[in-house]
Amino acid sequence: MRRVALVGNPNCGKSTLFNRLTGLNQKTSNLPGTTVDSHEGKVKISNEWFELVDLPGIYSLFTNSEYEHVVVSNLIGKGTPKPDAIIYVLDSSNLRRNLLLLSQVAELKIPAVCILTMEDSAQRRDIKIDTDELKSILGISIISFNPRITKDIKPVEGLFSQFSVGKPLSENADMNEKLSRFLEGKPNRGISTETLRRYNDIDKVVKKVVIRENKKREGNTLKIDKWVTHPVIGFFIFFSIMLAIFQGVFSLADYPMTWIEHSFSWLRSQTSKIVTNEYVVDFVNSGLLSGLEGVIVFLPQIFILFFLIGILEDSGYMVRASFLSDQLMRKLGLNGRSIIPLIGGFACAIPAIMATRTIKNRSERLATMLVVPLMSCSARIPVYILLTSLIVPAGVLWGPIPAQTLIMTLAYFAGIIMAILFAIFFKMLGKGKEQSEFVLELPTYQAPRIQTVINGAWLRCKSFLNEAGKIIVIISMALWVLSSFGPDKAMEEARNKARIIAQKNPESIEQIEQSYLLEASYAGHLGKMIEPAIKPLGYDWKTGIALISSFAAREVFVGTMSTLFQTGAEDENVIGIRKKMQSEINPETGKPAYGIGYAISLMLFYAFALQCISTMAVLKKETQTWKWSIILFFLYGAIAYLSAFSAFQFFGNP
Amino acid sequence: MSEQTAKDLRFDCPAEIIKLAEGDLNQKLAEMGCVPGTQIVKLYSAPSGDPVAFRIDSYVLGLRLSEAEQIVVKTDEELETSI
Repeated sequence: MRRVALVGNPNCGKSTLFNRLTGLNQKTSNLPGTTVDSHEGKVKISNEWFELVDLPGIYSLFTNSEYEHVVVSNLIGKGTPKPDAIIYVLDSSNLRRNLLLLSQVAELKIPAVCILTMEDSAQRRDIKIDTDELKSILGISIISFNPRITKDIKPVEGLFSQFSVGKPLSENADMNEKLSRFLEGKPNRGISTETLRRYNDIDKVVKKVVIRENKKREGNTLKIDKWVTHPVIGFFIFFSIMLAIFQGVFSLADYPMTWIEHSFSWLRSQTSKIVTNEYVVDFVNSGLLSGLEGVIVFLPQIFILFFLIGILEDSGYMVRASFLSDQLMRKLGLNGRSIIPLIGGFACAIPAIMATRTIKNRSERLATMLVVPLMSCSARIPVYILLTSLIVPAGVLWGPIPAQTLIMTLAYFAGIIMAILFAIFFKMLGKGKEQSEFVLELPTYQAPRIQTVINGAWLRCKSFLNEAGKIIVIISMALWVLSSFGPDKAMEEARNKARIIAQKNPESIEQIEQSYLLEASYAGHLGKMIEPAIKPLGYDWKTGIALISSFAAREVFVGTMSTLFQTGAEDENVIGIRKKMQSEINPETGKPAYGIGYAISLMLFYAFALQCISTMAVLKKETQTWKWSIILFFLYGAIAYLSAFSAFQFFGNP
Repeated sequence: MSEQTAKDLRFDCPAEIIKLAEGDLNQKLAEMGCVPGTQIVKLYSAPSGDPVAFRIDSYVLGLRLSEAEQIVVKTDEELETSI
């Protein structure tokens, strides 16, 4: 099977073309040691299968970033098979800059053809290209094709039988050797002068093939950009779009997530019909199905976030969002593109961390990933609601604002402030490794192609399932084992104890038994074991168990507390647990066990601590190492512990 | 007279790139088409004034002020008077 690589600048329509050719028949792959995707797919053209590789869009082979390394490695066949042929994709509205990359790659003497895209936006600016002349200069087949608009893809398919080695635009010393040196990180002398010489040669070509009658004519893009960057209207558009993204991930994803939950409840009801063995049912329902549900439930959020990001990227707005927020984000050591992951983080850290892929600067991308978990995600809301209700009753007003709302908002701000501090801290750590720069093309606005966007979002979901999904299932199963099994003797005693107590009110035997079994389980033992460590924070062993179990997902805290307080499934709401928690007296001090100090301390703990295995799994997937998950676990854990400790010492001992 | 850079340009006044200042960004800017002889126009900026968008030949490039400072330019008026 012949391997064909698509080579071109960013925003030239290359990926749209790739999606048109391969459809869903594609996968993403990472060159070992890099986090940059290249997409591969198979396409059958007149009875021959081709392996198509969509290389990341770059401007020149010699810029020192991961993107160029991936392209160069592919082109000279280092770590991947060398391509048998190349399809150059060139933006006709901007031929001069697009020809630089072609002139470099052409010196590798790989058979090639060329596609000129974006004819429409070139026409709008009165730019015409003499394709025949360009063909005779480059010595390869050229067609004009707009992958966004043109329906008939036959002309592109026809190119697959016309690959040929063209004529180089410039004469330069051995390209292969220079690229090998580049990959090894050795400096190539005189690349700057070489670039100037190339442009010199390109300008001669451009003079012959680009026909432009009216140089002044601008497209609509400039008009739109004047609005988009307007001090008032621009920010209004910006915040509206950010709000829409937040709402999309936060509210819209709620519907499919509810369907997923319902489907799993239905599946659980079916297992007990098929299998009679109580332990098998428990294993399948609470272990296996819960683990799977814990993975699948993220898919709607991931899909929606990447769908929306895809639209912003494909239309060209994303670059403008960077343009607007660059100055602010730069001060924090982040990137203009960090804004989307950070906002997504308020809904869920999992898709948000994945969304940092759009940040090209490596250290800025890492810093963004590392602070995203400090944004209070939606899984923290049930915990915050329960805890605020322990601080003040509903309906109390502080000034004009309901006290509970104010306390919740403060918890969010605590996370944001911590994120800002850590962003600055990570920036100082990463200083000097990679220079921060903007230098960003503001491409012509385009109507986004929905098919491309959907494909992209679906590929993200697939890679989440494959890479992070397994880890999440395994760890949730482990958590299930911890909370459903315990030392035999303890479990037996728990059952007997439950039976004796339940004699008084037999209708709630199941709740009572569950509560005692959880206490006797390994998780219960762990909860008691860590009690000395969490006592200074104001927590008892029950909170300890809930802390451990909420590693599966933070909101599990509420469920675990409700099991321990025997509130029963139908009553598993905040009010029921709150009442029971409030009436609990600490036997040592004689004061309420879950007072204001407890609630503030625990809220801060939840705001800062990285207690979410899914986040850790995704962080591992995106950074290709467990290092950062572990560092963050201990770093944010220490911050959470210290702030919870201070809060309890301050508020807990009135 | 000190050299005029792209940072100092007025909006919508075409100029020509004379040279790039020596520095780390030199190669990157050249690759993006900011080579001597290219026409450059300051188009618009972010509300804070930084970054700024320039038309470089036939496309639009966003640059921070510190990056625009690396591009030495000559406005068309200057070009005319020097002839």
